[in-house]
Amino acid sequence: MSRPGYHLRVIWACMKKDIQVSLTDRIFIILGVFLPVNFLILFSLFVISGGQAPTAVVMNDTGPYAQQFYHAMAGAHSFILQKATSSEARNLLQTGRIVAVVTIPADFETRIQHNQPVKVGVDINNLNMDFTNDIRRAVPLAITSFYAKAFPDVVTIAPHEIDQYTQDTDYIPYLTVSILVIALVVGGLLQSGTSAAREWENATMKELLLSPASRWAIVTGKMLGALVLSLISVVVVLAVLIFIIGVHPLHWGAMIGFTLLTLAIFIALGTLLGTFLKQRQAFTGLAIGIALPLFFVSGAFGPISFNVPILQVIAQLTPVYYAIVLQQYAFHGFILNTYGLLANTLILFGFAIGLIILSAFVLHRSTVAN
Amino acid sequence: MKVAHSDEAVPGPLGNASDKVPAIEIQDLCKTFGKFQAVDHLTLTVQQGEIFGLLGPNGSGKTTTINMISGLTVPTSGSVRVHGYDVRHSAREVRQILGAVPQETALYEELSAWANMDFHADLFGIPPREKKQRINAMLEIVQLTDRKNSRVGTFSGGMKRRLALGRALLHDPKLIYLDEPTLGIDVQARRAIWDYILQLRSQGKTVLITTNYLEEAQALCDRLAIIDHGKLIAVDTPQHLKQSYGGSVVELETADAISEVAKIQALEGIKEVKQENTHLTITTQGTGNIVPQIINIVSQESEIRAITIREPDLDEIFLRLTGTALRD
Repeated sequence: MSRPGYHLRVIWACMKKDIQVSLTDRIFIILGVFLPVNFLILFSLFVISGGQAPTAVVMNDTGPYAQQFYHAMAGAHSFILQKATSSEARNLLQTGRIVAVVTIPADFETRIQHNQPVKVGVDINNLNMDFTNDIRRAVPLAITSFYAKAFPDVVTIAPHEIDQYTQDTDYIPYLTVSILVIALVVGGLLQSGTSAAREWENATMKELLLSPASRWAIVTGKMLGALVLSLISVVVVLAVLIFIIGVHPLHWGAMIGFTLLTLAIFIALGTLLGTFLKQRQAFTGLAIGIALPLFFVSGAFGPISFNVPILQVIAQLTPVYYAIVLQQYAFHGFILNTYGLLANTLILFGFAIGLIILSAFVLHRSTVAN
Repeated sequence: MKVAHSDEAVPGPLGNASDKVPAIEIQDLCKTFGKFQAVDHLTLTVQQGEIFGLLGPNGSGKTTTINMISGLTVPTSGSVRVHGYDVRHSAREVRQILGAVPQETALYEELSAWANMDFHADLFGIPPREKKQRINAMLEIVQLTDRKNSRVGTFSGGMKRRLALGRALLHDPKLIYLDEPTLGIDVQARRAIWDYILQLRSQGKTVLITTNYLEEAQALCDRLAIIDHGKLIAVDTPQHLKQSYGGSVVELETADAISEVAKIQALEGIKEVKQENTHLTITTQGTGNIVPQIINIVSQESEIRAITIREPDLDEIFLRLTGTALRD
C-alpha cells in the first residue's frame, strides 16, 4: 500500500473507531448533543421571561382616550398586558403573578378632554429592581406616546430615525445565532476532548503510539470523528433555530463554512486539552468552564462594540468573538465590527490552523512517560 | 501460530537491518527524570529467537527501559537498536516489527474483539485482502472465534490477555514484548498463555517479558536480566544465575531451637544462615564437605528431625542480588 493510501486508511480507521466508541458511551452523546440544545432553551427562556413585565391594567374608563392609552402601553414593548378588574388585579399583584397594576381612573376621558391633570395609578411589586425600573421607564414613555398620537400639536419634538440597516434584528434571532456558536464550541470541545482523554484513561493510547502510523494521520482521524459527532448536535440546534424559532440563514454556504471552521477550532482545542488532562471528568469540567466565559465575553448578547473597551479587547482575543461575528453575518447579513468579512474569516481560519497544528504537535510529543 | 508474512504490511524496506543482528542491542542507556536516574548506563543484548525476561522490583527501571525500546520514551543518553534499527531515528520501522502486549492490554473495551483486531490491522497497514483471513486465523489461535462479535468489556482477564496477544501478533512482528503477561489471571489461563509464548519461540520470534512471577520467568525465559535502581545487576540463564549466585540451600528441622548459629555461620562456604524457631535455612556455595559439618554442629544441640538439600529458587537469588523481594 502506498504511503498516502496508508495514511488515508489510518485516518479512516481512527475516525470510524472513535465514532463507534463514542456511540457506546451514551452519557457523553447525551452531554454532547443535548447540552447545546439546553443552552438554546435556557437562554431563550431567559430572554422571553426577562424581557417584559407582566402588568394588569384596570380600565375604570373605557372611552376612546382610555383605549388609546392602553394601546400606547402595549406599544412600549415593556409590558405583557392583561386587562383585569380592580379586585382581580390586586389579587394577581398580591400573589406575585404580575409586576404592576396600572389603573386608568373613571374620569380619564373627561379630564383629558378638559385638559385637566390625570393621575394614573401604578402599583408595583418592587421585589425585582430590574422589572421595577422597566415599569418606571415605560409608564412615562406610554404617556408621551399617548400624547404624541392623541394630540400631535402638543408634542412638538419628534425623533427623525435613520437606520443603518434595512431591517431591525430582534433580540431572540440575534441571541439564538450566538447560541448556535456555543453549540459548536461545547460540541466540538466535548466530543474531541473526551475522545482524547478516554484514550489515556483506558490506556488505549499505547495502541496508537506503538503503531507505525503517523501521528498526523491519527490526529486527523480523531478530529474527523469528533467532527461527525459534533455535527449531530449542530443539526439539532439548527433544526430548533429554523423550524421552531424561525431564524433562517441568509447565506447558507457561509453558515456551513463558518460552522465547520468553528468546529475545527474547538475540536483541535478539545484534543489539546484532553491530551493534557488525560481524564474525561476533569476535561468535561474544564470544557464547560472555558465555554461559558468565552460565550459571555464574546458579544453573544449584543454587539461587543457597545461594551467597555477592556471587554472589547478581551473578546477580540478569542475565536468565539469572530465566530459570532461571522455567524451573525451568515444569518442576518450584518457584520458586527469594522474588519470586514474577509479579515474576520482569515482571523478565524488562523485560529483553526494554529490550534490544529498545536494539538497535533502535543499528541506527537506525547509519550507514555517523558 | 505462524501468520503469512507480507512485505506490504511494512511501509518501506528494512534497509540495512539483517536477520543476524541482535533483536535488541542496548548500549550505555540512561534516562533521568529531573534528578531521578531511572535507567543508569544499561548495556544489554537480546539475541533473535530468545525468550528474554526482564526482572526487577517496582521502580527498578524496567518499564522505562521497555518504553525506550519501543520508542515511547526518549533516552537521555545511550542507544537502543531493534533488529539493527536505531529506535530514535527509525521509530516507525521499529514499531512495525514490534508487537506489544502492555500490562493494561490497551484494548477498546467498548468494541468487539473483531473491531479491535480490524483497527489494529488498519493501523499496521495489513493489506485489506489479507486482513479478514489473518484476523480469523488469529482469533482461532487465541480461541476467541466464538466471541469475535462480543464486546471486549464482557471478557474475563484471561480472554483479554489472549486477545491482546493475538492482536500484537496480527501484523507478524519479529519481536514481541509482553508486560506482565499473566498478571491477575487464573492458573489455567496462565498455562494457556505460557503455551502461546513458548510456541512463539519455536517460530523464531524474539520475546521480551517483564514479570513479577519468578516461576513464570523460570518456566519461560532462556535468559534473565535483573535490574535494580536502573542498573543491570545480573544477566544469564536461570540455571547459571542459580549456580553463580546461589550454591545450595540446606534446610533443617530440629526438635529444639539451637543456639550455635554463629558456629555454622563461621564455617567456610556458608553464605547465609536464617533461623525461625526450630527451622534453619542455610545457604552454601556448594554441598561438598559443608553438610556433614553442619549436621555435626546441629546434632550436638538437638535432634535433627528432617533435612533437605535443594537448589535455591529465583526468589532467593533475586532477594540476594537486590536486597528486596520481587513483589515489594
